[in-house]
Amino acid sequence: MSAIGVAEPVAAEPSALVDARSAKRRRRRRQRLGNVGWYAILTFLASITVFPFLWMLLTSLKGPLDPIASVPPQLIPGHPTLDNYGRVLASLPIVQFFVNSITVSIFVTALNVLVSALAAYPLAKMRFRGRDLIFYLLLATLIVPAQLTYIPSFILAVNVFHYYDSLPAVIVPGLASAFNIFLMRQAFRGVPNDLIDAARVDGAGEWRVWWQILLPIVRPSMAAVAIFTFVTSWNDFLWPSLMLHSRDGMTLPVGLAALQGFFSSDFRSIAAGVTMTVVPILIFFIFVQRYFVRGLAGAVKG
Amino acid sequence: MTARFRATPYLFLLPAVALIAVFVVYPILAVVYYSFTDYDIITPPVWVGLENFLKVFQDETFWLALTHSVIYLIATPILIVLSIALAIVVNRRLPGIHLYRALYFVPAVSGSIAIGLSWRWLFDRNGLINGVLQSLGVIHDPIQWLASPSLILPIAMLLTIWAGVGFYSVIFLAGLQNIPEELYDAARIDGCNDVQKHWHISLPGLRPQIVFVAVISSLAALKVFDEIYVLTARTGGILDSGVTMVFYLWRQAFQLHHAGYASAIAIVLLAITLVFSIVNVRLLERQEPER
Repeated sequence: MSAIGVAEPVAAEPSALVDARSAKRRRRRRQRLGNVGWYAILTFLASITVFPFLWMLLTSLKGPLDPIASVPPQLIPGHPTLDNYGRVLASLPIVQFFVNSITVSIFVTALNVLVSALAAYPLAKMRFRGRDLIFYLLLATLIVPAQLTYIPSFILAVNVFHYYDSLPAVIVPGLASAFNIFLMRQAFRGVPNDLIDAARVDGAGEWRVWWQILLPIVRPSMAAVAIFTFVTSWNDFLWPSLMLHSRDGMTLPVGLAALQGFFSSDFRSIAAGVTMTVVPILIFFIFVQRYFVRGLAGAVKG
Repeated sequence: MTARFRATPYLFLLPAVALIAVFVVYPILAVVYYSFTDYDIITPPVWVGLENFLKVFQDETFWLALTHSVIYLIATPILIVLSIALAIVVNRRLPGIHLYRALYFVPAVSGSIAIGLSWRWLFDRNGLINGVLQSLGVIHDPIQWLASPSLILPIAMLLTIWAGVGFYSVIFLAGLQNIPEELYDAARIDGCNDVQKHWHISLPGLRPQIVFVAVISSLAALKVFDEIYVLTARTGGILDSGVTMVFYLWRQAFQLHHAGYASAIAIVLLAITLVFSIVNVRLLERQEPER
């Protein structure tokens, strides 16, 4: 991948062996001191990424007697309350938004990964007429901003598919993604050909090769693609906001934008709404993050 | 392998190709057609030739939106530098490092609407930023952050960068972990300090990831919408100070129902994206001569 050779370090090694031991001890002491510094830096950075949400959480817990805009600002609520959550839940069907978002994200993730993995197999491991053409056309669609397709897709949704203002309107157009096909193809290309050929010689058909050999091997990459698709679909806003308008039919981001209109400057309630939508996806991500990072390492190798 | 025709590869490809044909390829062709028509989505399109395009190029708001989208590209190099820096910081074995990595990823999974609303609250006239600045005595009167035409775009870009660094740094972290440890040991023995070490080893080793992130994040910058939508509460900001290409496209198509005109804007956006991508691909090819 890089142009750097490995010969150089080998040649340089012997001279370093001489005072390796004392250097090691010195390094370890320096390291322990250095660790404190690193933790300080890491904690400072974490406070930058987390603070806006922490501030939302703190604001959402403030009671009517707590000032939300004072100088100096009040950080910790003096009269903590869950009333703001109650108010949001009473005025907007957040639970229904949540169910809608889960439904959309699960369908999109499961089917999209399946469709992408299907398409990626011949593109990675078979030779047939038109393969390169199809692959480059798929890649070219990656460049096209999705928003550009929304006008015709809107008209299709209303006139042809008749799913305007229902969940299929946000599920169906999300079922194929050139990006995921590309990532899955990368993963399949890493599988040795010998393995596939051996299975073919043993009489396995292409479908069995795909299902029983390829898919289990690329599971880490597939997990990363699935997590990425789930989070993207969960947070998708513009297209769902064009499609979903009825009160009970919105996904969380669409409902959250509606919340902004509904409570305009009642920041305690907006904060409660934001907190309710952010916490579930955060918990989900904390559970799956190691699969994501591990799989991503394999998927994006340039 | 034989050259005879087999249906299997095409069957594997069929679902994906069919979906992409309906939801990507057909819409592009339809947008090209609509761009030559007067169309309000309800009554059938009427052919008007190049009229929409002539109007687009004389439309001051369009030029403003284009300028804003180009300015937004400044976010890309900043994102790359900060993401690499963060990746280098978290690429070490320390107890609890996984927790920190997860914390940096929080903005990436929280969703642009939730993020936008929390930032709106921070930068509100009565928000925390003004509160802190006032109590420190830096400013006397609260600043109207989100109602200042010159501030809305920088704030949106700051938001994009803040939300993106965690995500892109994971890609760079994966790249760093692919670089053989021996290279760093050798550099240390050769007397490289930490900065030189990363300059001479990490950066060249991360080249594929840098290209990847540059392409992805600059395409994302060209299509910014959500941040503007939330920060300006759907208005596009005072005097359209926050209007980007996609925001203007959305407003023309779905607020004003000028679908034909919006399609012409979409075509211009597509042309810009294509030129931009070709330049990117050229750079990518030049940087990877061994392929």
